[in-house]
Amino acid sequence: MSGPERFQLHESGAWLGRFDPIEIDLLRLASTQLVDMLDAGTADPDGAASDGVFGRLLPAAYRDDDEAAAEFRRFTAPGLLERKAQNARIVLNSLGTDSSDSTDSSDSSDSPDPADEAADPDEEGREPVTVRLDAEAVQAWLRSLTDLRLTLADRLQISPDGVVHLTGTNAAFLRELYEWLGMLQEELVYAIDV
Amino acid sequence: MTKTAEQTELREAVALDRPWVTLVWDDPVNLMSYVAYVFRSYFGVTPEEAERLMLQVHHNGRAVVATGNRETMERHVEAMHGYGLWATLAKADE
Repeated sequence: MSGPERFQLHESGAWLGRFDPIEIDLLRLASTQLVDMLDAGTADPDGAASDGVFGRLLPAAYRDDDEAAAEFRRFTAPGLLERKAQNARIVLNSLGTDSSDSTDSSDSSDSPDPADEAADPDEEGREPVTVRLDAEAVQAWLRSLTDLRLTLADRLQISPDGVVHLTGTNAAFLRELYEWLGMLQEELVYAIDV
Repeated sequence: MTKTAEQTELREAVALDRPWVTLVWDDPVNLMSYVAYVFRSYFGVTPEEAERLMLQVHHNGRAVVATGNRETMERHVEAMHGYGLWATLAKADE
């Protein structure tokens, strides 16, 4: 990335991340959907098992022993899903409340209306936002950015060779989001990587 | 205890001693910088060793990142899944 680094170490020991408002909106939208998906997976493990993305978030621990893999999943899946949802909630908390939303933003059951997003004028007039991450939040961000990318990779039907197979109107947007989340994660890894 | 049972027990004891390994597999999603970071921060290896293991995953499709008893390897695999890495465990000679 050009210009000043996005993440700067503050004297308090926390990391300060500089974001455009549109980036905050995107991250909030994606993380909200991730929390909903993970909570749905916790509530209905059998339904979740049929969704390919859970196969990647919770891969089989034994390649050639289905019974052992099933037992491992039975013991570890609830805790892993809970921690992944918690990480996504920490990301949402560090993004702050949604000031552009006039309705009660604590009501997370309201899914964001894509029409509202599209109706927003160009965001250039809005000031950059500073996000403060303590050590715990940095760890939650690193993991949750991974979970977001794994989820998007499943939706984009990315094959093992890295090729995107999804086509259609959503593909370009999802792909851009996927690439941007990767860039963001790399910026964070390089920042803390001393 | 019959002789056969004794032998079975001995074989099981030997089997228990056989080390297990934690494997991390290549995937098209995870960034090389992040994978190396995970190896360094979780397993506490040097940056050089983390880089070597990451490149092994990248080029060979997988790498053994830990060796030990089954319980410990299951703990490592669970931790790797927490990081979003694709990890499995297996007996060392498989």
